[in-house]
Amino acid sequence: MLRPCLIYSMFTYIVRRLMQGIVVLLAVSLICFIVFRSAGDPAVSMAGQYATFQDIEEVRKVFGLDKPYYIQYIRFIANALQGNFGLSFVNRVPALPLILERLPATVELATCAIFISVVFGVGLGVLVSLKPYLVRNRIIMAGSLFNISMPTFLTGILVIMVFAVYLKILPPFGRGETVTIGFWRTGFLTWSGIKHLILPAFTLGMYQLAVLLRLTRAGMREVLTEEYIKTAWAKGLPPRKVIFKHALRNVLIPVVTMTGLQFGELIAFSFVTELIFQWPGAGNLLLISIFEQDQPVIVTYVMLVALVILTINIIVDILYAILNPKIRYE
Amino acid sequence: MKKVFLLSFIAAFMVALFGFGGQAMAASSIVVAVDSPPRMMNPHGDDSDANLSVMANFFDGLMQRKGSDGILAPALAMRYEHPDLLTWKFYLRKGVKFHNGNPFTAEDVKFSFERLSDPKVSEFINTGKSIASIDIIDEYTVVIKTKTPIPWFANNLHQVYIMDKESTESRSVGAVQQVPIGTGAYKFVEWIKGSYVKMEANEGYWEGAPPIKKVELKPIKEPSTRFAALVSGQVDFTSGVPVELYEKVVKNPKLQVINRPARRSIFLALGSKPGSAWEDIRVRKAMYMAINEDEIIEKIMRGHAAPAAQIPDPPTIGYNASIKRLAYNPEEAKRLLKEAGYENGFDITLTGPNDRYVQDEKIAEAVVKYLAKVGIKARLDVKPKAVFFPEVFEGKLEFYLIGWFDGTFDMGRTYFKLIHTRDKEKGFGALNGAKFSNPDIDTLLEATASMVDQEKRKGVLQYINKLAMVGSIACIPLHYQQDIYAIQKDRGIKFQPRPDRWLVFKEISKQ
Repeated sequence: MLRPCLIYSMFTYIVRRLMQGIVVLLAVSLICFIVFRSAGDPAVSMAGQYATFQDIEEVRKVFGLDKPYYIQYIRFIANALQGNFGLSFVNRVPALPLILERLPATVELATCAIFISVVFGVGLGVLVSLKPYLVRNRIIMAGSLFNISMPTFLTGILVIMVFAVYLKILPPFGRGETVTIGFWRTGFLTWSGIKHLILPAFTLGMYQLAVLLRLTRAGMREVLTEEYIKTAWAKGLPPRKVIFKHALRNVLIPVVTMTGLQFGELIAFSFVTELIFQWPGAGNLLLISIFEQDQPVIVTYVMLVALVILTINIIVDILYAILNPKIRYE
Repeated sequence: MKKVFLLSFIAAFMVALFGFGGQAMAASSIVVAVDSPPRMMNPHGDDSDANLSVMANFFDGLMQRKGSDGILAPALAMRYEHPDLLTWKFYLRKGVKFHNGNPFTAEDVKFSFERLSDPKVSEFINTGKSIASIDIIDEYTVVIKTKTPIPWFANNLHQVYIMDKESTESRSVGAVQQVPIGTGAYKFVEWIKGSYVKMEANEGYWEGAPPIKKVELKPIKEPSTRFAALVSGQVDFTSGVPVELYEKVVKNPKLQVINRPARRSIFLALGSKPGSAWEDIRVRKAMYMAINEDEIIEKIMRGHAAPAAQIPDPPTIGYNASIKRLAYNPEEAKRLLKEAGYENGFDITLTGPNDRYVQDEKIAEAVVKYLAKVGIKARLDVKPKAVFFPEVFEGKLEFYLIGWFDGTFDMGRTYFKLIHTRDKEKGFGALNGAKFSNPDIDTLLEATASMVDQEKRKGVLQYINKLAMVGSIACIPLHYQQDIYAIQKDRGIKFQPRPDRWLVFKEISKQ
């Protein structure tokens, strides 16, 4: 049970966090707007290759690009509050649905990546912590350093070359067959979809896997020296119980926090992986939009991701308080 | 015992998962990987070749361009008349139906051409605005009058697709952007953005049903992934093989590589801005001669380019075969600079895109180095195309790398854009970003627009071309690019690349 005073302090804390969140979102939108607006004139490419000066001027007017920047920004915010993020300059359709349509692919990829990184990261972390000086475990640790320092781009191309080109056991790109349930297009329900998911999810989760591995190992090594673990051994409990029930449970608190925080990051930074594997997700769309100077899509995307990360952070904070009663929010 | 069970379970799982590698493809279907995905299914909304190429399969224009020579041929118009400089009379094909069953009539033509001038849905505003009136004579005859004489009007009609008036008006703008309804050889099946576009043969196509029944078009932006998709047999065919991977593709015994000289030429635009060092034609000539184009082709383009002496390519009206490149001669360049009073060189900024043309950034780097050898201090300023092109339009560059080819095969239109003096009133010279100006060329160019005799017009255009390239060195031409395709050898695909790099699937067959 939560004590009333904790609930109260948590409530004020959440309200404060939400208000901070709104300020952050506004700042993010403003920075995005300034950066991409001053980078180039979208009207030129929107008017077509053979446009005359007058044609370009007309396009500017139709899309409201002839107004001063601050008016354009105020207009954007006013519309955004009503859920209208403007028309994509490139596709000429509303920006938000364009991104939302692509989001399921990214969420599925990130979910899979986090799953792989938790299972292998925590599993190997425990394994390594038990006998840290074994050659095999030292190789695993060295490998995790390698993972942290290897750019996703290289990992992606390497796994494509090995598993798709030479071994030919997994497809090199795309999402395979998908099934649509309501608005959600999923690749989880077909063989082809799952096969297509393995390589990109592995590539995306690689870094997180290494981080979780090192985190689990460090935590385990610390906990395993504690008195109560010695007591557990002394009582003659089976190793499985000592390791998983007594030691790992205590290590898991920071691991869960880390995993939560990283989930938002995986969604936000999946674009490199998505590019390499031609994964039809939101990150891929973002990259194309940046190349094409499609400012409404870029700003909407960045705001959406900021919102996701903020939400996850708040949820993690709350969970943390529930998991660990020592925490106070003041 | 437990362990053995677990291992065999894992093994069984792996077999189940990986056992069904390599899907068999039906004989009459094809999977194609392209480098740039379509942006929309609205045929007027994007005038990039990547989009027009896809739209060419769903829609028809009044005219079409056929085969490897890009010859202008009738499509939805059986024939046309051009009684005076402003009038174009089209006799439409009868009995053609849109994919939704609606008959194709003069109303659709009028509707489609009027739609061109709406900036919300069209990038062909220029074409749309050049039309004065569209009159329907009867159900199958349309007369279009232009505001000013446009000699290349008909030559451009393979890009202006005809939409179904009824279904375009009755559907929302969003729906029209997503689902195309045309008269083309292929019917739209499904478009999952970033994944694929699927199409199926239109069995009732007026030119006869296309041989390939199902097409799946997959965009793969990353070149190494495109290569992997091809080598692993996932796609039948890909366009846009990067020159860096060319050797690898050629060495692969399963792949066949098809090269074709591209229409696009790459050149360095150089103005004649008053007060600048390069206002002097001797300086422009020196810069031309300082650049070792053969080395650029050999080292940077890895042999996949042909030297250019002018902007238009051979099939273009106005191409002049007598124009020759100035030979690479740094000594002569230095002498010319000395003669012009720039013995110690001068400063200049070379701007260029880094994501538009084959090896664009590397070419620009090389040019800077060649210029340094004759004492010209060029500063390199490369940027993404989305930033670069607006700067060209604003006319604030002094020296830049750009590429060009004209979809109408008409140099007149190109030179009005690139070489004519910038003139906001008349709308000329919008892409003359370095402000080149030669009044003689302007006068002659404007005169060609109203020439009735097309042979004479061609002659004058050739003369203008020589005047611009040799007489006044309006730019430094570098090379024509090469289009490279790779195809799976054993799948019996018959393909002849088109000059415009479009993939028109009715022209491809498979055994």
